[in-house]
Amino acid sequence: MTPDLSAAVETFVQEAREQLEGLEGMLLDLESGADRDRVDAIFRVLHTVKGSGSMFGFGALARFTHHFEDAFDGVREGRMQIDNRLIDVSLRARDHMTALLDCGGDSPEAARLEASEEAASLLTTLAAIMGKGQGSPEASLAPPPAALPQREAVLRRWSIRFHPDAAALRNGMRPDLLMAEVAALGEAEIRLDASDLPPLAELDPERSYFAWDVLLTTAQPRDAIEAIFLFADDAALEIAERDPDAQATAAAAPAAAPAQPVRAQAAVALAQDTPAARLPQATAGSSENVRVPAGKLDDIMDQLGELVIAQARLHQIAAATQNADLESIVEEVERLVTGLRDATLSVRMLPIESVFGKFRRVVRDLSVELGKDVALAVEGGETELDKTVIDRLSEPLVHMIRNSMDHGLEDAARRQAAGKPTRGRVTLSARQEGGEVLIAIEDDGAGLDTEAIRNRAIERGLLAADAQPNPAEIHQMIFAPGFSTASTLSSVSGRGVGMDAVRSAVEALRGQTEIVTVPGRGTRVTLRLPVTLAIIDGFLVRLGQSVFVIPLAAVEECVEFEEAERRRDSGRSMLRLREHLVPFLDLDDVFARPPSTEPRRRVVIVKADGQRLGLVVDDILGQNQTVIKTLSIYHRNIAGLAGATILGDGAVALIIDVATLARRARAAQRQIA
Amino acid sequence: MQNTLQTRDKPGPGGGPDPEMMLIFRLSGEVFALPVSEVHEILDPIPTTPVPGAPPFAPALINVRGAIAPLIDIRQRLRMQAMPASDTARIIVLDLPVAGVPTRMAIIADAVDEVIETDRAALKPVPELGARWPEPYVTGVARSGDALVILLNTDTLFCPDAGQTPQA
Repeated sequence: MTPDLSAAVETFVQEAREQLEGLEGMLLDLESGADRDRVDAIFRVLHTVKGSGSMFGFGALARFTHHFEDAFDGVREGRMQIDNRLIDVSLRARDHMTALLDCGGDSPEAARLEASEEAASLLTTLAAIMGKGQGSPEASLAPPPAALPQREAVLRRWSIRFHPDAAALRNGMRPDLLMAEVAALGEAEIRLDASDLPPLAELDPERSYFAWDVLLTTAQPRDAIEAIFLFADDAALEIAERDPDAQATAAAAPAAAPAQPVRAQAAVALAQDTPAARLPQATAGSSENVRVPAGKLDDIMDQLGELVIAQARLHQIAAATQNADLESIVEEVERLVTGLRDATLSVRMLPIESVFGKFRRVVRDLSVELGKDVALAVEGGETELDKTVIDRLSEPLVHMIRNSMDHGLEDAARRQAAGKPTRGRVTLSARQEGGEVLIAIEDDGAGLDTEAIRNRAIERGLLAADAQPNPAEIHQMIFAPGFSTASTLSSVSGRGVGMDAVRSAVEALRGQTEIVTVPGRGTRVTLRLPVTLAIIDGFLVRLGQSVFVIPLAAVEECVEFEEAERRRDSGRSMLRLREHLVPFLDLDDVFARPPSTEPRRRVVIVKADGQRLGLVVDDILGQNQTVIKTLSIYHRNIAGLAGATILGDGAVALIIDVATLARRARAAQRQIA
Repeated sequence: MQNTLQTRDKPGPGGGPDPEMMLIFRLSGEVFALPVSEVHEILDPIPTTPVPGAPPFAPALINVRGAIAPLIDIRQRLRMQAMPASDTARIIVLDLPVAGVPTRMAIIADAVDEVIETDRAALKPVPELGARWPEPYVTGVARSGDALVILLNTDTLFCPDAGQTPQA
C-alpha cells in the first residue's frame, strides 16, 4: 500500500467515523418523530458508508451496512415503519459498524466480527422486523406509512462535472464505481472528457487526465449526489441544476423548492462551461472550513506559550530601562500577544454538545437495563471548552450519569410513594463562569443518605468512629477511593470505582468536584473545569527566595497572617476569618522548608472542593499569565504540585495543586479529630 | 590521543565496527563518558528551582531556552559523595527517551573536558570494575592517559523507577 493510498484510507476512516457518530443522534431523533428528512439523512449515511467502504477495502463493513441501508430504503418508500425495535437494532448495528471500521479494512478481525453472534443476531432481528413490516402494515404498532409525508417526486436535471485530482487513481479512487452510483440515482448521460490527455510520449499511466460530464435526471436531492463524491474530496466537483424553470414534472415541489434553486442558480452561473467553471473547488461551502490535525494546534499553542513567556521578559526589561518609547511598543506587543492568545485558544474551543450528545444513548440503554424510566434534559450544550478537556471528560461524565440513574433515582414504586412523577429526570447542564466551565449532573432522586455514607466511611476506615464532620464533608466521601454505598453490585455502577475515577480525571484537568444534595429532592454534582489547559491566570506568592504560582481561579482573598489569631487547640490549625474558622496550612510545612522568620506573613484563602483553606506564605507578588508546563516523570507524582512555569525573569516556578492540599488538610483534621 | 574503551557487554548498534563520539566530563573527582548523540547542549551554570518533595536524584528544575528540564544529580545513583560546585561547573543537557517518552533533562558536571572517538566493537568487559560502580549504570571503562573513564549506561541511569542504591 502506497503512503498516498493509506492517507486516502485514513481520510475515509475519519470521515466514516464522524458519519457513524452523527448516525447515533439521528437514530435517537427518530424516537421523537420520524419525518422524511431524518429518514433521508440516515439513508444517506448508510449509503455513503457502504459505498465508500467497499471502495476503500472495508468489504465486511459494506456488506453489513447494506442490510440496514436496505431497511431504511424500505422506510423511505413506505414499505417499512419505524418503531422502537427498528431503532434498537439500528443503534446496535451502528455500534457494530463502528467496530468493523475500527478493524481497519478487511482484516482477520473484521472477518471474525462479520461471523460473530452479534452480527448474526442483528441481521436476524432486522430480517424479522422487515418481514413483518412488509407483510401486514396494519398489524404493526408503529404509525401507518402516512406518518411519513412523501415528498412529491419531482424530477430535476442536474449537470455534474467531476474532475478528479491528477493523483486520484494512484490514491485508489475508482471513478467507475462513482459513475455507476451516479447512474443508479436516475437517468444519466455520462460523457468522458479526455481533452487533457497528452501525447502518448508524455503519458504517465498512473496519472488521471480525465473528467466526466454527467447529465442526470433524478428525483433525489442534491445532497444525495454530493454524498457519492464525499470521499473524493480533492477532486473538482461541480453540481448545477439545469434550467430549474423547466422541471421535468409539472408539479412544483412545494416543500423542497424554496431553498434549492437559490443554490442552484449560483452554481449555474459558474457552470457555463467557462474556464471558471473548472476551478479546483469542492462542493459549495466546504471551503469555508479547514480541517486541521489536533497536533498542529498543539504546536501553535506551544509556540504561543513561548511567546507569552518572552513577552513577560520583554516587559520586565522595558520596565527596568524606563525608556518611554520602548515601553509603549512593549504595551503594543502585549496587546497583540493577548489577542493572539485569545484567538488561538478560541480555535481549540469546541461546544460541549459533542460529548453531551453521546449521553442520550447512554441514558436510553441504561433506562432499559435498570428498568427505570428516565428523561435526560440537556442545557447549555453550546458552552465551549478546550478540545483536550472535552476529550477527557467523556468517561467521567458517563460514570456520573450511571451513578445518578442507578443510585440517585428511586424506582417507579418508590417515586410514586414519595409523590413524584414516576419518570425520573437527569439534567446535564453546562455554563461558563469566568475562566471556568461548570458542568452539573443533577437528578431528582432521593438524595444522598448521609448516615449510610458516614457508616460506610467508618467501616472503610475513611473516617474515625467518633469524628463529627459536617454533612458536606461526609458527602465528599463518595469520591474517596474504594467507596461504594450500593448494597448490591449491579452491572451498572456500585463497584466503588466510579466517583473516585471521576475525581481523579477532573483533577487531572485541574478541575474540582462539588456535591450538593437535598434529601428526597435529589443530588447535584458540579464539575468546575478550567476553560483551557495551556495558559491560566496565576497568582504569584513568595516563600523565602522561591516563587510559587497558585491558580487565580482558586483564590478567594488574601489576609494578613496574625500569629495571635491562630488557635492551636487540639493541634488544629484554624484561622478566624470574620465569623468563620478556616483551616490553614503553612506552605513551609507542606514543602518541608525551614520555618519562615519573616515578621509579616500573609494568608491566601483558596477554595477547593467547595471548602475554604488558608495557605500561609511570606509575601504576595501579584498576578501573571501562567503558561503551564507539565512536570517530567521524575516529579509528576509529588503531592501538591500541578506543574511548573517560567516567570518573566526566566526563573522556573512551581504551580500549586490546591485540591490536593485541601484534601491533605482535611485528612490531617480527621486524624486529630 | 590514545584511548581504548572497554565495555561489559553493550554491543554497538548493528554489531559492526561503530565509532562513537563520547563526551568526557568530571564529577566529584571521577571521569565519565556519555554518548555525544544524546547530548543536546552544554550550559554554564544557571539558576535552579528546587522541587520540594522530589527524590534526591532529581532535586531541581532549570529553564533550558524556554523548556523546563529536570536537573539530575547522578552522584545519587553512583553512590558518590556530593561536593561543592567548582568554578568550572557546567550543565550538560541531554535528550533521552525515559520510560519510552522523549525527555529533555540536564546533569551537573564539575567540568566538561573533550569529545573523543571510540570504537565500540573493540570494547571488552573489564573485570576489575568489581563492586566499585553499581553495575546497572555503567557499561564499561576506558583509559585516557592516567585516568580511568567510566562509560555511563544512559538507558538505566535515568530510569525513574530504579532504586537509589541498587544491589551491586
